[in-house]
Amino acid sequence: MAGDTDRRDFIKKSAGTALGAAVAANLPACASVGAVAPGKTAETIYKGGTIVTMDDKRRQVAAVAVADGRIIAAGDESEVMKTRGGTTKIVDLGTMTLMPSFIDSHGHFMNAPQIVRWANVSGPPVGPIAKIADFVPVLQEHVRKQGIKKGEWIIGFGYDRSNLAEGRELLASELDPAFPDNPVMLIHSSNHGAILNSAAFKAVGYDENTKTPPGGIINRVEGTNRPAGFIMETAFLPLFGDMPQPSERELLDTLDAAQQIYASAGVTTCSEGATHAKDLAFLRKAAAEGLLYLDVFSLPLILDVPAFIREYAPDFRGGAMELPNETPQAFGAYRNHLKLQGIKVALDGSPQGKTAFWTRPLLTGGPSGEANWRGQPLFPPETAFKALKEVYDKGVQVWCHCNGDAAIDMMIDGSRAAGVKAAQDRRTVIIHSQCMRPDQLDAYAELGFSPSFFTSHTFFWGEEHVANLGPERAAFISPMKSAIAKGLTCSNHTDFSVTPMDPMRVMSSACTRRSRGGRVIGPNERVDRWESLKALTVNAAWQLREEKDKGTIEVGKLADLVILDGNPLTVDEDRILGIKVLETLKGGKSVYRRTT
Amino acid sequence: MRAALPFTVIGGYLGAGKTTLLNHLLANTAALRIAVLVNDFGSVNIDAELIRKHDGDTIELVNGCMCCSLVSGFAAAVGAIRRRAAEFDHLVIEASGVADPEKIAQYGQMYELPLEGIVVVVDAEQVRAQATNKYVGDTVIRQFEQADLFVLNKIDLVTADERRSLRAWLSGLAPGTPLIETTGSNVPIDVLLGAHQGRVPRSSTDHRAPDIHADLYKSWTIERVTPLSRDAVQRFAQGLGPDVYRAKGFVLLQGDTGTKYVFQQVGARWTLEPTAAWGAEPRRTRVVVIGRAGATSERALQALVDGRSANPVVSIVAEGAGDRRPPAG
Repeated sequence: MAGDTDRRDFIKKSAGTALGAAVAANLPACASVGAVAPGKTAETIYKGGTIVTMDDKRRQVAAVAVADGRIIAAGDESEVMKTRGGTTKIVDLGTMTLMPSFIDSHGHFMNAPQIVRWANVSGPPVGPIAKIADFVPVLQEHVRKQGIKKGEWIIGFGYDRSNLAEGRELLASELDPAFPDNPVMLIHSSNHGAILNSAAFKAVGYDENTKTPPGGIINRVEGTNRPAGFIMETAFLPLFGDMPQPSERELLDTLDAAQQIYASAGVTTCSEGATHAKDLAFLRKAAAEGLLYLDVFSLPLILDVPAFIREYAPDFRGGAMELPNETPQAFGAYRNHLKLQGIKVALDGSPQGKTAFWTRPLLTGGPSGEANWRGQPLFPPETAFKALKEVYDKGVQVWCHCNGDAAIDMMIDGSRAAGVKAAQDRRTVIIHSQCMRPDQLDAYAELGFSPSFFTSHTFFWGEEHVANLGPERAAFISPMKSAIAKGLTCSNHTDFSVTPMDPMRVMSSACTRRSRGGRVIGPNERVDRWESLKALTVNAAWQLREEKDKGTIEVGKLADLVILDGNPLTVDEDRILGIKVLETLKGGKSVYRRTT
Repeated sequence: MRAALPFTVIGGYLGAGKTTLLNHLLANTAALRIAVLVNDFGSVNIDAELIRKHDGDTIELVNGCMCCSLVSGFAAAVGAIRRRAAEFDHLVIEASGVADPEKIAQYGQMYELPLEGIVVVVDAEQVRAQATNKYVGDTVIRQFEQADLFVLNKIDLVTADERRSLRAWLSGLAPGTPLIETTGSNVPIDVLLGAHQGRVPRSSTDHRAPDIHADLYKSWTIERVTPLSRDAVQRFAQGLGPDVYRAKGFVLLQGDTGTKYVFQQVGARWTLEPTAAWGAEPRRTRVVVIGRAGATSERALQALVDGRSANPVVSIVAEGAGDRRPPAG
């Protein structure tokens, strides 16, 4: 067959190049509806307890058998027990619940190696800091655990004054007695500012003579010109750019801890949802060294396409936004747990940062107090449309970040102009799809768009959205119920590390849409438990074109499973967040087990 | 001591002629080493004959200039240029078509680089459609409001009536901002760049349209051997008016006559910064003013410095300045 020959030729020709290396050799086995695969003996059989399949046709089964990393039987106990052999291990689930492990449909895996080296100084429920006095012990514990030596930087993330009982910024002088010799930088939750201690100010050369740059903030000690601790925006960003960077080896060494962030939350498929050229080089090295045991799917950033082409297709001679014809063959299959999934486009910023792009102005002005502010697109429509058409024409899946309805309009217009239709089954994923208008759901259906929602915004920023957008627009944030009613396949994500790696938080937010203050943001868009879990499993697998391998407990699929201490379909609503992951399995192998 | 690397931001919507302006600049500044940051969609469109070496995100040019793409992050790129500041005379940042140039300028200023000015290039033929585009209309108008100097480009594609009407429209949106009309982004280099370390760039001989400038632009020079007060410099800077595009030179400053100060002005934005000691050079103020023919006169400029108020240019400025500008002195 011509197609096969082409494929082999391509692999042969590109052996040793990364484009080739990203192509996996074997295709997945097909899942079948039958309950028992013939002629196989189980390594492990799970029974008793609750087994939730996430399969609409049969939501629960009594037993599941696993062998060679896949599910070989699922159904009635008597039927599944037929696969039992002499060495088969039988696991009685008791009060536990077994279900497909979770897929984080959008997040930033490359933040994980960084974060495991940093102290979590967020407030509840994300971190342990509720008052000024909490900082020093938390940082001391971090220093002890990480073995940070005298003179080395201590970095924390998630700092936010709004978490502190005192309601004021932490001062350098409150960190100095405990950390006289270590520079400390506690990065603000917006990533646009930080608290520094005196050793850090010294290290970066900030003192009483430092002028505050335009667009920046440097809080000063009252009555003096000395920096007090808090710096923001243009006073912070250059410092962050100049921070000492860990070596590649140091980062590779964090990958176990980084993957444990996911595995301990029951997630076995991780999103690297905005991959720069240097990040892909790092991930490829990690994969080649066998350091990945969870699946990581990567979305190379469209802005980095010229850099990718220079590196992986140096002989290609095309225009600025053109892709080589072989491009699609680099996508779509795992190799050593790393897969290129699609190309990432972003058309706007974030709603909480007021940098999204809306058709109607915010009620509260822009990020710098601009009146009549509706944000702006990241690219001129002409540029975006041309790039989208090229990616569509090459047959590569598009994952497009759109938060505001004007950015979504742009994506709809650009896709229509490129001739996109639902029947083409492109599975274009619109990441976030947050501030939608009802009419846009019909366009999604027409174009075959699949939203990856971000419902936990209703918890983390619910009050801000009501203030900025007004109650009506805020109520339609991440409108999962309406989208399902239109027949759209919806996933739901963490955007890690924007919010914590916590699928139960994501699920709970889809069901309750309750804000930090207890207000329900858009009661009509709440979905039932089953739908909220599908968004974390089978629907996310479909977006990845992995529905034959992942997302449900069915014969032939990977044994990517999670064991929970409660049944998320039936526990009281306020107990969803308390459900604990007891064990996580990737391809039948335990990758996390909870210790008491 | 070396002054920090001064920088200029070139803004304006897609297709206005920003990259043409950049290429024009690079091709006509043999005496200057220019670093360029291009904040665009992953490509650096520099004329091939200017390129010596292409290495990753960086392009080295035959005349010692360098171009970087900003895709790996603005902070990283500006940081890298700042570390190599000694190798360059000037930094030009080309903003993307939808960027707020003022925001880009802040990113340069946060590295303590002195901002010379924001030049916004306007496509005479397309700008009205762009300004009403449902996606980018408000962004295009915001760019106007942030300009220190307009380059109204592609004027050969519109009628004289339309040019007049565009000028009036722009002056209504951004009162008092000087405007220079061009084809092919053919702005005199003297207008684009300021004085550099005693090397005020030589008058360019533009290879594309050698004769056009002589009729449209004129320059005036003011010289003083008696030191100027800061007040006098401020009065001068604020009184030049919207038909003056650029002023630059060195100032002998009252109270610090041992230090050579560099004066830069683009539109309403001006700076006075200490550079080096005078050395063997004669200590005197020497500032060149470039503007539309008839914009001012040497007599008017002398009067400005001296604070004589009977200057017609000053009154015009005060009238047309709008609320963005400080009142004329």
